[in-house]
Amino acid sequence: MLGNFKLYFIFATMIQKAIMLCLAMAVSLGTLFAQKCDLILRGRVLHLENNQPIEAAYVWLSESATGVATDANGNFTLKNLCAGEQTIQITFIGHKEIKQSIVLNSATSNLTFKMEEEAVALTGVEVHGHREAVQTTTAVSTLYGEALLQSRGESLGESLKRVAGVTTFSTGNTISKPVIHGLHSNRILILNNGIRLEGQQWGAEHAPEIDPFLADELTVVKGAETVRYGPEAMGGVILVNPPALPTSKKSTTELNLVGNTNGRAGNVAVSHAGGSGKYPGLGYRIQGATRRAGNIQTPNYYQGNTGMSESSLSGALGYSSSKIGTEAYYSFFTTELGILRDAHTGNLSDLLAIIENGAPFSQADFTYTINNPKQVVTHHLAKLKAHYHLNPSWKLNFQYGFQKNKRQEFDRRRGELNVRPSLDLELFTNTTELVLEHNLKSHWTGSMGIHLIQQANSNVPGTGVTPLIPNYDLLNAGVFVMEKYLKGALELEAGLRYDYRTVSAARYVGNDLQESDLTYQNGSIFIGGRYQINPNWAFTSNLGTAWRPPNVNELFSQGLHHGAAAVELGDVNLDSEKSLKWVNGLEFEGKRSTVELTAYANQIRDYIYLNPTGGTFVSLRGTFNVYEYLQADAFFYGLDLSGTYSFTENLNGYAKGSIIRAKNTETETDTYFPFIPSDRMDWGLSYSLGKNPDQGKNRITLSNVLVAKQHREPIFDLAPAPPAYALLNLGYSKKVELFKNTLSLSLQVNNLLNTEFKEYMNRFRYFTADMGRNFQLKFNYQF
Amino acid sequence: MKNLKKVSLYLLALVAFGFASCESEDPEKENDGEVITDVTLKFQELNASNALVGSVLSFKASDPQGIEVGKTPNIESINLTKGKKYQMTIEVTNAIKGEDITKEILEEAAEHQFFFLGQVFESSIFSIQYADAGGIALGLKTIVTVSPSTGTNNSSMRVVLRHDLNKSFAGANSPTFANFAQAGGETDLDITFPVILK
Repeated sequence: MLGNFKLYFIFATMIQKAIMLCLAMAVSLGTLFAQKCDLILRGRVLHLENNQPIEAAYVWLSESATGVATDANGNFTLKNLCAGEQTIQITFIGHKEIKQSIVLNSATSNLTFKMEEEAVALTGVEVHGHREAVQTTTAVSTLYGEALLQSRGESLGESLKRVAGVTTFSTGNTISKPVIHGLHSNRILILNNGIRLEGQQWGAEHAPEIDPFLADELTVVKGAETVRYGPEAMGGVILVNPPALPTSKKSTTELNLVGNTNGRAGNVAVSHAGGSGKYPGLGYRIQGATRRAGNIQTPNYYQGNTGMSESSLSGALGYSSSKIGTEAYYSFFTTELGILRDAHTGNLSDLLAIIENGAPFSQADFTYTINNPKQVVTHHLAKLKAHYHLNPSWKLNFQYGFQKNKRQEFDRRRGELNVRPSLDLELFTNTTELVLEHNLKSHWTGSMGIHLIQQANSNVPGTGVTPLIPNYDLLNAGVFVMEKYLKGALELEAGLRYDYRTVSAARYVGNDLQESDLTYQNGSIFIGGRYQINPNWAFTSNLGTAWRPPNVNELFSQGLHHGAAAVELGDVNLDSEKSLKWVNGLEFEGKRSTVELTAYANQIRDYIYLNPTGGTFVSLRGTFNVYEYLQADAFFYGLDLSGTYSFTENLNGYAKGSIIRAKNTETETDTYFPFIPSDRMDWGLSYSLGKNPDQGKNRITLSNVLVAKQHREPIFDLAPAPPAYALLNLGYSKKVELFKNTLSLSLQVNNLLNTEFKEYMNRFRYFTADMGRNFQLKFNYQF
Repeated sequence: MKNLKKVSLYLLALVAFGFASCESEDPEKENDGEVITDVTLKFQELNASNALVGSVLSFKASDPQGIEVGKTPNIESINLTKGKKYQMTIEVTNAIKGEDITKEILEEAAEHQFFFLGQVFESSIFSIQYADAGGIALGLKTIVTVSPSTGTNNSSMRVVLRHDLNKSFAGANSPTFANFAQAGGETDLDITFPVILK
């Protein structure tokens, strides 16, 4: 352990020196001059505990008789101050007041204040009801509050579409995977309450096993965050965070009801959280949700067998004091998803016939019944977390997660085989992490840690099908160190990581036992910064490397993929993908408008993709296309832009859009990869009725989604990219007081004009049009 | 402090337990149950009074590995005589598991149907009708009539088995329904047999 510490300090010092060098350069650019009464004081207010910014803390300068509230990033600015000694006073509910003398002499002063949470009990026990915030200098977007409320009833992928730069890769209307900057599946990471979600994420038709109802905050980190979170976090990270546990005696209950006309779908979700009065710091939360939907309707027909049913449950119990914090968390997710009957084709001519038809052949009616082909997935996640304050500056975090994922996929089969799954996988994952954090009085904060991931995948025998992927055991060990320098409006951050992974796989193909033992290792590094240029403008920049070892399916696939009428061949000699992503963000926050611009470039070496060999394979069943996994260097770049503008107190507008380009850089002429989102934008206006428009008591929203045709198509595709489309959505929301609590109601009409369209990023575009008009009624009550 | 030590010990024990209990199972051999390895077309002549005469002619298409890349199925040529009428029966087996799939198809007659296409029908060399027991449109048993006056001696017949189709789809009651795809479902077999006539 001592040796580790020593190594850590060497790394930490190295990183600190690098950051100081950058800083020296920045400072040398500034000019310092002082004049009477035109001084500026900038600063930031953070939680002492975790450095999370405090929004709406009040900062008051007694002598100047001027004050201001901090913004969402904890920043504040006071202008036209006179030189000399001043008393600064900072207050925030539930926190100890800060009152101290400062001397103002230079033109601009940058100060950071850390507020301590107030003791709740008289015994002097301090209660820290905080959450782990994302401490990153990368571009981050978060869905919470009103925006999250609007997304209630949608899958994780659909909800996240509200963030500029995030799209979905979907298989029909029930399976959608989030795509960040053109990357998805195993190239992004999803964290369920801080634990890497480990399911069979390699499959294009495998949706993340998580119910967004458990979250009160969905955060998208758009940078390469391998150092912080481990391998595979190439395109970005999605954090699904439940609310913080209560630490005092108060209880809250939330009820959500959602009804949809399309699919005649309904959701019910309830959550309840409370704290103990007897034992301050002890809190709990339970949450459950269920969803049922029938066949989806396109403007002109029903999609046969597209119903679904889903349930989720989660609970947490935690205790926190000034020294120690512990939390036990459990979540359960189960889903049964019908797969469009016509998408399960027998051979290539079947597939071509349906593509030519452009719509399913089966003439389905509405039903809730789910037949084969279908998926049945359950996911258990249990977590134990503890932190211990060694002293005011050092904190030790421990987290252990256990996950069990069971995936069964059923095809239409003959006889008794029809009730047996064709794919039956059981995946166990243990994740352990030990992180030592420091938060020094100087401007340095940082952490070092060890991450262990152990995974065991087994095919449950008896499917009557040669397994698509083998049984395997995986072990991934990673060590990392990160340091951050924070002074006034400037944050600089850098980190290093090393990972080692072993995979040992085995399976039978016919009577042949195939075994492979593979090892991968990689070093990762990142450097980033955030600078609050002035009260309105902030700039972030992050350059990071990431890597992803090839997935089991990419290594070992050897079989028929029914939906694509294709034989897919893995390659055991594939190398790891290595990427370098540079993300720059510019944020503007003015009186009437906000703008967020993210520009990025991602160079990926040995990008793995499924390429048609051009050959076909003939069997008694007919002909199939043959695909193989290949590697090529790829370059992804693009822009996300989002903004809001208040025309009047009542009328607000918003717009967001994203552009992405992805090229194969190994070919002389431009060639493109399949399933890269086309250019798209979404804009809308909302009008609030009444005298207090801020409260949004009555609001009408009209929005318009515009999606371009994907002109950058791969050389081979089963069908050309569908044409561009535009959709119109209309919504009305109302808030009413009911027994002193707020009841939110909303009626939303999606695809108002019942436009028939196909989305390039939906794999079922080959078989069917997308979802038609949907009326959605929502009800949210918190008490 | 003492409590803390206890807690951390428990945690450690839990972690150790978690790690120990999670190893992948040894792989087991999986017999491909769905795979069809052999399809045999059996022809027997029918005389003027529709009685079976003569010996049974068997023509087989086989793919011993089921679906595996690099191996193409072995398909025998159908040898028949011009101007004769035959009863054709189809036998479908999975040699990997030693299973008779014909029986399963018969049991699920409501979800299965054979269609017969290709040059022999396009050029009116063959005519065919379903002759399954109970008068259902299935195709395990059919009557094939070879035209007496055909110019060519070489042709081909495509045999398609559809699964999970809408059997009452307009036109689907014909054994030579070329637009079978429109009736929905998927293809379980799609074999083109060479045909030699004498």
